[in-house]
Parts: sequence; structure tokens; C-alpha cells
Amino acid sequence: MKRAVFKNRGLPYLLVLPQIVVTLVFFFWPAFESLRLSFFRTSPFGDKTSFVGLENFVNLLSSAEYYQSIANTFVFAFGVTALAVGLGLFVAALATQKVRGLAAYRTAVLWPYGIAPPIAGIIFLFIFHPSYGVLPYWLGFVTSYEFNWLLKGWVAMALVIIATAWTHVGYNIAFFLAGLLAIPTSVLEAASVDGAGALRRFRSIVLPLLSPITFYLVVVNLIFSFFGSFGVIHAVTQGGPGNATEIMVFKVYKDGFIGLNLGSSAAQSVLLMFVVIVLTALQFRFVEKKVIYS
Amino acid sequence: MARTLTRVGVVVFLLGVVGLLAAVPPGAAQAPVKITLWHAMGGARYDAITKEIAAGFNKAYPAYTLEPLYTGSYGETVTKAIAAIRAGNPPHIVQVFEVGTQTMLDSGAILPVTEVAKPGDIDFDDYLAPILNYYQVGGKLASMPFNSSTAIVYYNKDVFQKAGLDPSRPPATYKDVEEMGKKIVASGAARAAITFGWPSWMLEQAHAMHNQPYADHGNGRQGRATRVLFNAPFGVEVLGRWKRWADDKLLAYGGREYAPNKAFLSGEVAMLMQSTSQVTTLEKAARFRIGTGFLPRIEGQPAGRSVIGGASFWVLRGKGRSPQELDAIAKFFRFVALPEETAKWHMDTGYFPATKTAVALLRKQEWFVKHPNHETAFEQIQQGPDTPNTRGVLLGNFVQIRNITDTAIEKALSARLSPKEALDEAAREANKLLDEYNRINK
Repeated sequence: MKRAVFKNRGLPYLLVLPQIVVTLVFFFWPAFESLRLSFFRTSPFGDKTSFVGLENFVNLLSSAEYYQSIANTFVFAFGVTALAVGLGLFVAALATQKVRGLAAYRTAVLWPYGIAPPIAGIIFLFIFHPSYGVLPYWLGFVTSYEFNWLLKGWVAMALVIIATAWTHVGYNIAFFLAGLLAIPTSVLEAASVDGAGALRRFRSIVLPLLSPITFYLVVVNLIFSFFGSFGVIHAVTQGGPGNATEIMVFKVYKDGFIGLNLGSSAAQSVLLMFVVIVLTALQFRFVEKKVIYS
Repeated sequence: MARTLTRVGVVVFLLGVVGLLAAVPPGAAQAPVKITLWHAMGGARYDAITKEIAAGFNKAYPAYTLEPLYTGSYGETVTKAIAAIRAGNPPHIVQVFEVGTQTMLDSGAILPVTEVAKPGDIDFDDYLAPILNYYQVGGKLASMPFNSSTAIVYYNKDVFQKAGLDPSRPPATYKDVEEMGKKIVASGAARAAITFGWPSWMLEQAHAMHNQPYADHGNGRQGRATRVLFNAPFGVEVLGRWKRWADDKLLAYGGREYAPNKAFLSGEVAMLMQSTSQVTTLEKAARFRIGTGFLPRIEGQPAGRSVIGGASFWVLRGKGRSPQELDAIAKFFRFVALPEETAKWHMDTGYFPATKTAVALLRKQEWFVKHPNHETAFEQIQQGPDTPNTRGVLLGNFVQIRNITDTAIEKALSARLSPKEALDEAAREANKLLDEYNRINK
């Protein structure tokens, strides 16, 4: 690795200072503020505050609703990640085929990523909403129970998973595409000559060589699902029906900004942060061992 | 030398600043006094509040300027106002929906409207009693009534005709809904019989319509509510009937606020229980004849009255308001209360004409003769007894409790829980929230 040498000892610190300041002000300060708030109970108007110790946490951990939101979050996050990463790999593999107009295809498959999540949510609403969506009307589902996701929790969950995965799949495709194109064709040709079929080549060469990217994408997709998936849920289900799609980050918003229970909301974000830290650490500890970097 | 020059520069600069300040005489009253209004009126109501009311007020009182600002849904508006109060710079007036009433009362951030409007500014006795009664707590009027509504039933006359029903007769009872609904679905005139918006509000309406308490302590009006009562046999019966509608494929559940309107407007669903604030919007958008009727009653239950919903204007004290600002607010309320303005607001939206003089004016213009659907809610609200049960429930943490009952209704309609189980679960959670609220706000 190349080592940069600065004559002035202060200069390197000065150069990283802006980033450190940004991190402190926008990440550490709010995080500590949440931690502090989580030990208090505050009236909506902030005029009455009392220290309650761990009560906010105790309340959460003894509430069935909170456990449901944790379960929802895991179903949602793993659903989105599996779908977005799997589909991303599949589409990226297709986009490496030699077809006419390849550039146009490649641009098209990346498009969904350019759509803001709330807009994606609205698009899905126009297709699937039981009252005004196109699909239920065509299929005659207007009075149907089984697929009215305003009532059926699992349908609603499937819908938000698909919508979220759809917004995120473009990102995964871009990475997989880059990874696939970086695999030397000579290796693949050699395998071909040795009589390996397409599937075998994919399993024994492509997949191992893609493993760093896959690992990275799984981690990023999971974290994204935990933290960044607010837009779609807010636009499509608002956590309903009956809390069936209420994932942790949406509950943080709902209790904090609609319910104005800032103490509980802060406690939830602390727990959410904890879950994500543990999850990421576990991944690096166990999954990364199987990753081949070079 | 350079330093001296700098000093001279600074002195000149300071002199300039002082001169500028001196040139503006203190308290130059040329610029109009500005007051801000945060509101949640989207759609057709946005134009009515900005182009009609605010513009009209600014024209009528050149010394004052009212700046309306759309701050999102009701819930978002309250949240933003609270954030502004915490930051010490709230708007002068904020529009808060009825479920925020208890929270605003306990906020310590408000000025009661009766303290802002001087005697003679506004004749509050002119307001319709049910509206005044909702916003009066402990005999005192806290906020300025503005957009009051209630729920009624809308129905598609063309579908009724096609199904062989009398298009001039709306359903009067739950049994009517069931019998008419079965005919409608069987004849294929529509895909479903009925839908409704604001599910928890409909549950509240059903309680008031049959004079049943929704919470203890006189619906929270004779002291803070500590327990909700919607899981009593009456509430279970209401939700049980809705569930039966769903089982019989009569009910098409369409979501929590105004989304079900679209299923009604497309002709897929024949009847809609919804806020009166949608009359004008629905009449404009429908490609069929719309009829309206009172909310259907449950047979064998006592008579009550439908309850007021909508929102009112709250004055926020901020860090203190100048006499001019207070006068501007009072004048604005006075302007809103003018019979012509109240009548126009009603015509533009469908919200109640809140004063008796406005109603008289509308009658003189034969408005109700030409627009009978605008009269339905008005007639409905004047029937039935005036009791704590029909004045509307006041709850702390009401926004969250609404969410809890919405959830319970959805769980029951999707058969995940029985109506009784769903309401019991919701009552437990709601009571916990009431406890928490009462603990903070002693």
C-alpha cells in the first residue's frame, strides 16, 4: 500500500476534521441524545420531564406488540434481502448475455433504483389497492377477503417486501454486473473446455468469485431493510393491517412522531441500533469466513 | 498604517449601521401585523381556506396579514405545532382535529379563545349547540369552532335503482343495510354493498348514535377518562355486525381515512359511511346520482345523536403575543364567524354551517333546496338527546388510541380475533395509554 507523507503534522488532522465533525454532529450527537431520552418520560409538549430509569425498556420488552414488530422486522428484512439479492444476481446474469441493445437493457434494469421509495409505494398502491387499484378490479377481488391486504396481514407483508425489493434491486444489479464482468473469461473458457456445463461453471467459478460482493450486498441490504425501508411502508400500509407490517423503524416513527411518546421512541431506536450492531457483528464473525477475497 | 485604516473602516461601518437604524422610526406601523395559521386542509378545502378565507380577511383588514400554511395531515400538523412550541416559535393559530382536544387543553401552550376574543367580537351563542358543546370543556370554550363535521351515509342512487330498490330511500337501520345490500350484490348492480372511512371514528359514532359511553367519567368530560368502555357488549355488537357484513361479502373494507371514497365513486360499492366534509368533493367527482341519509341505527338500541368531528382553531401563546397580534387573531375569528364566510365555507366543502345566522342565510338563498345532500348532516345533528355520550369523548393520547381501535377493527374483520377478543385487547392497550397520560399530566 502506498503511504502518503505529510510534512506538516497538523495537516492530516485538519483534512479529516470535516468528516469527523459531520460524524459527531449528525451521528454521535443524535445517538447519545436518543440514549439520554430513553431514560425519561416526556410530555408531548416537552414541558414536563421525569426520569424513569429503565421503565421505557421494561415496558417495551414486556409488550407483545413490540415483539411482533421485531418478528415483522426480521421477516421483512430477510424477505427483502433474499428477494433483492437473488433477483439482482439473476437479472445481472441475464444482462451479461450477448444480446442486441444490451446497453438499453442494462440502463432499464437499473431504473427502479432511481425511484424514491415513497413514489415506488404509490405506484404499487395504484396497482394493488383494493379500492382503486387496477389489479383487484380486474381479478374481481373487491370484496374478497383472501387478498384484501388492508385486512390480510401476510398479503400486506408480501406486498411491502416486493415493493421494497423492487426499489432496491437496481443497486444490487449494478454491483453484480460489475462483479460478473470482472470475472476473467479465460477461466470460464478453460472450464468449458474441461466439459463444465453452464450451471457447473456458475456454481464452481462465478459464485465463489462473486462471494465478496454477495456478502457486502447481504449486509447492506439487511441494514437498509432495518433502517432505510421507512418510505415504502409509510406510503403503502402505514404498518397495518393490525400492525402486521409494523417494522421496528416504523414503530419508532409512529410512537415518537404520531404518538409523541418520545421516551419510548428513543428506547426503541436504542434497541434497534443494538440489534443491527449485533447482526452485523455476527455476519462478519461467521459468514465472512466463507468469503473468498482474492 | 494599515491598522489605522481598518479602524477607520470599522468606525465608518458602525456609524452607517447606527444611521440606518435611526432612519427607521421605532414602531413604524406601515407594515401590516402578520399572523400565521397552520392548517391541514388539503384538496378542495385548500383553495377554500387560502383563496377564500385568508385572502378575504387580508382584503377586509389591510392592517393585518394572515399567512396560511398547509402543514400536512391533521396528525402531522399537530406534530409540527408541538415541535414549534418546544422550539419556542409556534404559529399564532393552529388547526387541531377533535382527537387532539385533550392534549391541547393540557399543553399549557394555548390561550383560550374566549380570552382572545373580547366580548362583542364574536357571538358564541350563535353557534349550533352540538358544535359548541363539543369544544366546551368544563363550561369553557377553549378553541374556535371552524370545520365541524359528522358522519352520514352516502349511497349510489343509480345502483339502488338497478337493484330494484327505491332510490329515494337510504338505509335507516343495520337490518336495512343487510337486506338492501344482499339485493344489490345478488343483482350484480355493485360488487359490494357498503364501505366506510375512519373505522374507529365510526365506532365512536355508533356509540354516540345510541347514547352509549365510550369512556368513563362522562366520556372524559367530568374529569379525565381513566378507562375506555368500547369493549362493553354494545361495542362488541357493533363490531360483530360489521364482521357479519364482511362474512356475507357485503362489506368491502377500504382503509382508514378517505381511500374508501374511491371504491364508492367507481360504482363498485353502493353505500359509504363517511364524513360530511366529503359531500362537495363526492358530488363533484361522481358520475352517478348521490343520495345521503342518516347513519343507520341498530335495532332495539336507545336513540342518541351523531357526534361532531373535524377540527377547530387553537391560539398558541408562544413567548407572549403583542396586543396587535391578539387583535389580529380576534379579528380573524370574527371574520371566520361572519354568516357569509361560514355559509361559503359550508358550500365549498360540506362542513357544517356552524352558526344559526349562516343557516338562516343559506335557507334564504334556498341552498338546501338545491343541495339536499348538504342538509342531511345538519338535520341529523339536531336530533336526539344532548348527553355526555353524544357530546363526544375526550381522551388523552387519543391519536394512539384511535390507532389501537383501528387495529382491533382490522383484526376482527380479518377474522384473526373475534370482535370481543379484539376489543378487549384494544381496551387493555388503550387503558395503559390513559394511565401513562394521566401520570404525566397530573
